Amino acid sequence: MKAPPFAYARPTTLDGALELLSTHADSKVLAGGQSLLPVMNLRLGAPSLLVDISRIPMLDRIVVDDDGAVTIGALVTHTAVEGSADIARHAPLVAEAAPYIGHRAIRNRGTCVGSIAHADPAAEMPAVCLATDAIMISTSTHGDRVIPASAFFTGFLDTALRDDELLAAVRFPASPPGATGSVVEVSRRHGDYALAGLVCRLVVERGTITDAALAYFGVGPTAERVPEAEALLVGSDGRGPALDRAVEAVEATLDPPSDVHGTTAYRRHLAGVLCRRGVADAIARSTEEVA
Amino acid sequence: MTSPETHHTGTFDTATQGSGLGAFTGTSVKRVEDHRLLVGDGRYVADVVPPGCLHAAFVRSPFPHARLTGIDTSEATRLPGVVSVITGSDIEELTNPFLPFLALPGLYTPLYHSLSSERVRFVGDPVALVVASSRAVAEDAAELVDVTYEVLDGIGTIDRALDPESEPIWPRAKNNLLYDRTTDHGDVEGVFADADHVFTETFRCPRQSNQPMETRGILVEVDSVTGAVSVRAATQAPHMLRWQIAAYARKESGPQSIRSFLTNPERRGAFLAAAKAFVGDKGEALQSSDSTAMQHQLKTEPRTALQMVRTGAQLLGRDDYPHVDADDIGGGFGAKGSVAREEIAVAAAALAIGRSIQWIEDRMENLMDGGQAREEELTLSIACDADGTVRGLDVDLVLDQGAYPGNPVGAPITVRIMEVMQPGAYRFEAFRQRSRIVATNKGKYVAYRGPWANETWARERMINVVARRLGLSQTEIRRKNMYGDEDWPAAMLTGPALDVTCSVRKTLERAEELADLDRLDALRADAVSRGKRLGIGFASYHEAAPGPPDYFEHVNPGTSALLDQPATASVSVDGTIQIWTSQMPHGQSHETTYAQLAADQLGVAIEDIELVYGDTSRAPFDLLGTGGSRGGPVGGGAVRKVGRHLRSVVVAKAADMLEASVDDVTIERGNIHVAGVPARGLTYAEVAARVVADGETVDGRDGTYAFSVDDTYTSAGDGGWSVATHVCWVEVDVETGIVEIPRYLVVEDCGPIINPAIVDGQVRGGVAQGIGAVLYERAAYDEQANPQASTYMDYLIPTATEIPRIEVDHMETLSPGENDHRGVGEGGMIGAPAAITNAIEDAIGVTVNDQHLPPYRILELMGIIRPD
Repeated sequence: MKAPPFAYARPTTLDGALELLSTHADSKVLAGGQSLLPVMNLRLGAPSLLVDISRIPMLDRIVVDDDGAVTIGALVTHTAVEGSADIARHAPLVAEAAPYIGHRAIRNRGTCVGSIAHADPAAEMPAVCLATDAIMISTSTHGDRVIPASAFFTGFLDTALRDDELLAAVRFPASPPGATGSVVEVSRRHGDYALAGLVCRLVVERGTITDAALAYFGVGPTAERVPEAEALLVGSDGRGPALDRAVEAVEATLDPPSDVHGTTAYRRHLAGVLCRRGVADAIARSTEEVA
Repeated sequence: MTSPETHHTGTFDTATQGSGLGAFTGTSVKRVEDHRLLVGDGRYVADVVPPGCLHAAFVRSPFPHARLTGIDTSEATRLPGVVSVITGSDIEELTNPFLPFLALPGLYTPLYHSLSSERVRFVGDPVALVVASSRAVAEDAAELVDVTYEVLDGIGTIDRALDPESEPIWPRAKNNLLYDRTTDHGDVEGVFADADHVFTETFRCPRQSNQPMETRGILVEVDSVTGAVSVRAATQAPHMLRWQIAAYARKESGPQSIRSFLTNPERRGAFLAAAKAFVGDKGEALQSSDSTAMQHQLKTEPRTALQMVRTGAQLLGRDDYPHVDADDIGGGFGAKGSVAREEIAVAAAALAIGRSIQWIEDRMENLMDGGQAREEELTLSIACDADGTVRGLDVDLVLDQGAYPGNPVGAPITVRIMEVMQPGAYRFEAFRQRSRIVATNKGKYVAYRGPWANETWARERMINVVARRLGLSQTEIRRKNMYGDEDWPAAMLTGPALDVTCSVRKTLERAEELADLDRLDALRADAVSRGKRLGIGFASYHEAAPGPPDYFEHVNPGTSALLDQPATASVSVDGTIQIWTSQMPHGQSHETTYAQLAADQLGVAIEDIELVYGDTSRAPFDLLGTGGSRGGPVGGGAVRKVGRHLRSVVVAKAADMLEASVDDVTIERGNIHVAGVPARGLTYAEVAARVVADGETVDGRDGTYAFSVDDTYTSAGDGGWSVATHVCWVEVDVETGIVEIPRYLVVEDCGPIINPAIVDGQVRGGVAQGIGAVLYERAAYDEQANPQASTYMDYLIPTATEIPRIEVDHMETLSPGENDHRGVGEGGMIGAPAAITNAIEDAIGVTVNDQHLPPYRILELMGIIRPD
């Protein structure tokens, strides 16, 4: 379980990194390495050059705009996300999802942005991005690009990033008034990839849901929203028959994979259970906050 | 050290154990090993890399079953850093094939080599060995070896293996059924015809894998000047590895080996003397072994005879066996009791190249080829009367041994133990067992902590099935049918004697007291209020650890002698004390418990005892090393016996020096003195110095000693059963199928305990692996035998957060035996799967036929989702 031969560079400037990415077709960005290095050690991937960005200044910052939007740089670890009071306050679903990621040792090295760029369909952060309409900020020698989450996750371990681009940061927009949400997942053991998971984000005004996002992970080739179920929730109180119909829509829409940990039927059933639990949790919190 | 949830019942008094000399035995002395291991001073095989050492990687089959039609190593050989690429056909030139170790009547055992050359039989089957300057380069080169395969149908299930038309994995066996034998005990037909009811269920246990923290590994060092070979390995049995390397890793022609045997009078003489002594000792036992087993083997695989003669002559003719040393070992659970094909291939490569080579298995290799276990299907029928009296048991067992036989311990011996133990501690009148072994295209079946455990699992499940159908409680049916103190002496239908140490029913009764059964309804109601279902499961068993004196003769006649345990005790010329054991510690705390036993015999402190093990040039000879829960009862018995022996010779010399009678001399805290006159005592160093001055030193195991004595402890001397009742409470989430274990209780009786904290640790570790088996761990394969769990993302081992507090209650039934400690290493794993699955059945109210119950399976059983 040793990686095949590869070249390694550790530039100290962003421009230096982007230059290497643009001139080496088969290069990969190395940040925390918690997904990339196992893939290489299992010889499932063999990039010819690793561009280690760990010495590039300014990428490890968490910035809160005046309007409450939070921008997380490419070197911010999951542990830093977990410990950030700013994120807890302004992007609570990001903070809530972080402890579910792997184990402490993985979170100490793994990065939030790296997890998004890796786009594992069973990972938490891509679903958080979809639920919160996050913005991806990529950069290359050709300049910066801003990509909405809805256009970013294009397939299994595949994103809208070009080979020469570095995902420099992710920005989570400010929450509107009445926003609430929850992160719920079922895994075999704590720290495992989820059998199925849901990031639920609702806007509740005077007991009525005015906006809903249900972003699932672990149930398809990418994290995915279920607009059919979201539409059924909007305008309702999120309980009783409205919730039942949303659960039915979730089960009718999703077509999860089958593996040794769970069958398609099981994951579809779990998605429905999580819809019920996630919406109920989010509404309960909204009520608590009002009270 | 004893945890708060541990409780002792029964009495323990060291004086009753024939020692009365010290106070260490029976106390939770802190582990001697811990400091070394915790501060990183342990020395594992990967820690030793001599200068210039080469590294090995294997080219392995990506297909479950295929003909190997070509192999091109030229590109790999050209890669800088590559020293050699050895293929399967090279290995046939360099080495001897593996031979059957334990033959069973009617069993087919193939001859095969350490690398495959014509056919591959599972994903991971090694076909070539790359030797290079580093493991990374070796892996690069392994990718460049070009192998062409003609893919054959992969056999991934027992059903497919039983199909007589299935592609034979071993063509000489004609099909994939390698063993099929039925044995009756008592009037089976009569009892089944006469009983009020017959209930039948089939129970399936999927493949699990022994998963030690340290994978397998070997370093074969070749002295560049003398050519002498020394080996370091992660092995549970260093002497077995040494003999197998000597037998297999170098091939001599038949005439050459016979010539060297005849021209080596010293070796020949030693062999003949040893053979004579062995036959003298064990002649009767040898006569009882079944010769039809070998007759069948020779009929199906005639080359066996020639290879046995050739390999035997080579073994006897040579006197340059490698030296094997095993130091610290990061666990094994039985898997490292096997000699690996990889170990023989690496040794052969080192001998051929004349350079040192290290191979450290990676986890992916380990999950494919490091040893798998317990894949069995058992159909049980119980004939019983309307009042719940069980009368007849009929079992149809099929064991999936995978592609290659275990070496030496694997499916055949496991089948025999399963059969002997199957009736358990129940008073059946008749018992029939059909046992079959099939080959499939999977990793090899090895011993895994309580290898026979599925007889307990299936029986204890079936007892619950009968109870449910008859409307009896789990405990009622067990109490009614179990042997108890009023029955002794008794014997199992399969032969072994039962006595007071088979205290299963007492552990059940104690468990009932501790289980707060009157609160059960309240607990169930509370669970329902939280969307959950609570269930409780009991399971009881007795295990041979070591078993009564006649036990192993009923398992495999003629082989009891293999279980004997030698030991040496010595006092150096400087007065330090050594105990030499053939046991090979790999997590069991031998250095602590043996020091406790020896210190009490010798009247010294724990720290005064040095335990010598693992190094074949020093440790006493024993092919089996550590395994089978024998460390306490048999290895410990040898330590006690040899310790007492050493004490007697030391006391004799000291009495001489003190001008006293030996009967008046005692030893307290290392002070050897006339009782009542401690001020005029001698130290061990003073006695040793006098031995030296008097010119009375003796040859010890590796030099000159003041005293050195040897003894052999035979397990047939003492013996007895280790028993337990497990009780598990589960809560099943009816929405997700997730199972939680709010409480787990073990009431065990392994006789008087050497070290309670260590016993608790063994019990809890075993239960944790049982929880793993039911809820997490599965070495999954698809129908075509493609592995589905070759990393830790898919092979799930429970972590600390998945394991509940495990309460352990000790009963300590004494027996008349001199060394009455009974084994406890395997029992946790034997009882747990039954208790957990019984609890799940109780919770969900649906018959549970599978041992492995991931959340999706729970919901399928409950009818909440449809099976795929």
